[in-house]
Amino acid sequence: MKSQKKFIEGNEAVVDGAIAAGARFYAGYPISPSSEIAEGAARELPRYGGIYIQMEDEISSMAALLGASLAGVKSFTATSSPGFSLMQENLGLGIMSEIPAVIFNVQRSGPSTGAATKPAQADIMQARYGAHGDHSIIALSPSSVQDCYDLTITAFNLAEKYRTPVLFLSDEVIGHLRETVTETEPGPDQIFSRIQPDPDISQKDFRPYGYSSDSVVPMPAVGNRKLLMRTTGSTHDEKGEFSPNPQNIDRVTHYLTNKIEKNAEDITITRTYQLDDAEIAFITFGCSVRSTISAVDILRAEGVRAGMLQLVTIWPMPEKEIRAVLAKAGTVVVPEMNLGQLAGEIRKFNDYGCRILQANRTDGVLITPQQIINTLED
Amino acid sequence: MKTEIVLCGVGGQGLISVGEIIGLAASLFEERLYATMTASYGSETRGTFTKTDVILSDQPIGYPNIDSPDVILCLAQVAYERYKDKFRDDTEVYYDTDMVIPAEGAKGKHFGYAFRTMSIETTGNTQAANTIALGVIIHHRHLLHKEAVMKAFAHRFAGRDQIIAINEKAFGLGLSLE
Repeated sequence: MKSQKKFIEGNEAVVDGAIAAGARFYAGYPISPSSEIAEGAARELPRYGGIYIQMEDEISSMAALLGASLAGVKSFTATSSPGFSLMQENLGLGIMSEIPAVIFNVQRSGPSTGAATKPAQADIMQARYGAHGDHSIIALSPSSVQDCYDLTITAFNLAEKYRTPVLFLSDEVIGHLRETVTETEPGPDQIFSRIQPDPDISQKDFRPYGYSSDSVVPMPAVGNRKLLMRTTGSTHDEKGEFSPNPQNIDRVTHYLTNKIEKNAEDITITRTYQLDDAEIAFITFGCSVRSTISAVDILRAEGVRAGMLQLVTIWPMPEKEIRAVLAKAGTVVVPEMNLGQLAGEIRKFNDYGCRILQANRTDGVLITPQQIINTLED
Repeated sequence: MKTEIVLCGVGGQGLISVGEIIGLAASLFEERLYATMTASYGSETRGTFTKTDVILSDQPIGYPNIDSPDVILCLAQVAYERYKDKFRDDTEVYYDTDMVIPAEGAKGKHFGYAFRTMSIETTGNTQAANTIALGVIIHHRHLLHKEAVMKAFAHRFAGRDQIIAINEKAFGLGLSLE
């Protein structure tokens, strides 16, 4: 397997990862601090026979992305928080129409235009609930440049496997951090491409939506000349035909949620650092992981049994792993660069009387190991 | 073993470029050495304060920002002033004597060189001051093998032979200075 060492930014590694995953279409509207992804896609995709389109805004970017994916091409876009707000409408269309795509959100300080060049991790709840209506979502969060390459491949695989838009919640710190990375080209068995229908199936028997099924069903490309593939944001039946009867509305709602929630075990990725004997456990994600690892090292050097659970998958929330920590540790601290969005989710699982503390930072400066440690002294 | 290096000055002095060379040399051309680099990011760059934090370690690196550096290169007074209170007794402070007047009583071991003047004398312009300074730092501190740095120039500036030659010359000059 071909492997290459590099010293690059997180945003650059994302482009390498997308190409390695087989993505060949990008539509986007550049915005700090994600613009290097657009630049890289514009430079690299044509070399692989792919297409880069700069759209007039994020709404149309998301629309173009879904169109290209429907036509059978693995597709991605990148934006930052204000642009992510604009993408919510068509993100909902992608969820309802079950269209694979990967959306990179390199989070910055908000709301609105906010502080354009400063990091934040404040789009966690928007990622989950930004699109209206009941649904579930997959969101991954990188904490290193290595993650920006490896997890990008994972994000495309999950999008294809579960026929859904997948969110990649990076942040300004990780997007612009340069570090040592080893880019290993994935083998054919490490790349998931959407399942195609049985070649002998007739239009009469063709069911591109799997509401009666326990699993995700095959998805042919639009314009395949054999099967008519219907796509609509309106509630539809297995054939893709408009079907707003109460029974169908209810089963579509459950199906879109369950196809992700019931496969949480397959989707969730977590990592631990010094967690086994930890009395003080940190639960965190993204750039805050970097500061937390250093905080754990400092505390361990002082004889404090500290450890960390890292949520690589943010959505669906790794409930089982979080509960295991809450049940065992006396104190849980949640470092994050927002006012407590993750901490709120963790409290929902706290049936164990665990003391939960927050370490929040919202001034656009990466949270420091010392600030995290100081939380314990309050 | 971890070394925290701050490269600071004003925009346009090639500090990010030096950081990239150090990171490339460590990541690609040294055995088992990790590197991180974070740089000032914002609307102010040319002519105003800028800095790059580079960390080298034989272990994976957590928090990538630097509070109190082990090694600092200051190519402008404004940058020196920002950091002088962060120096420890053992901090190695490399500065350009054309651009920086060290503070009286400041902590740290100070090493002053006329990087800018030497750059003009060697290459005809000021652009190589950063690379001469890198040579001086590597000569004193042995953070990297000089061969690794040479390979990093060739990698970073592939296809631009003249730029590689200027960097090699400036780096060689720095290495030769006591």
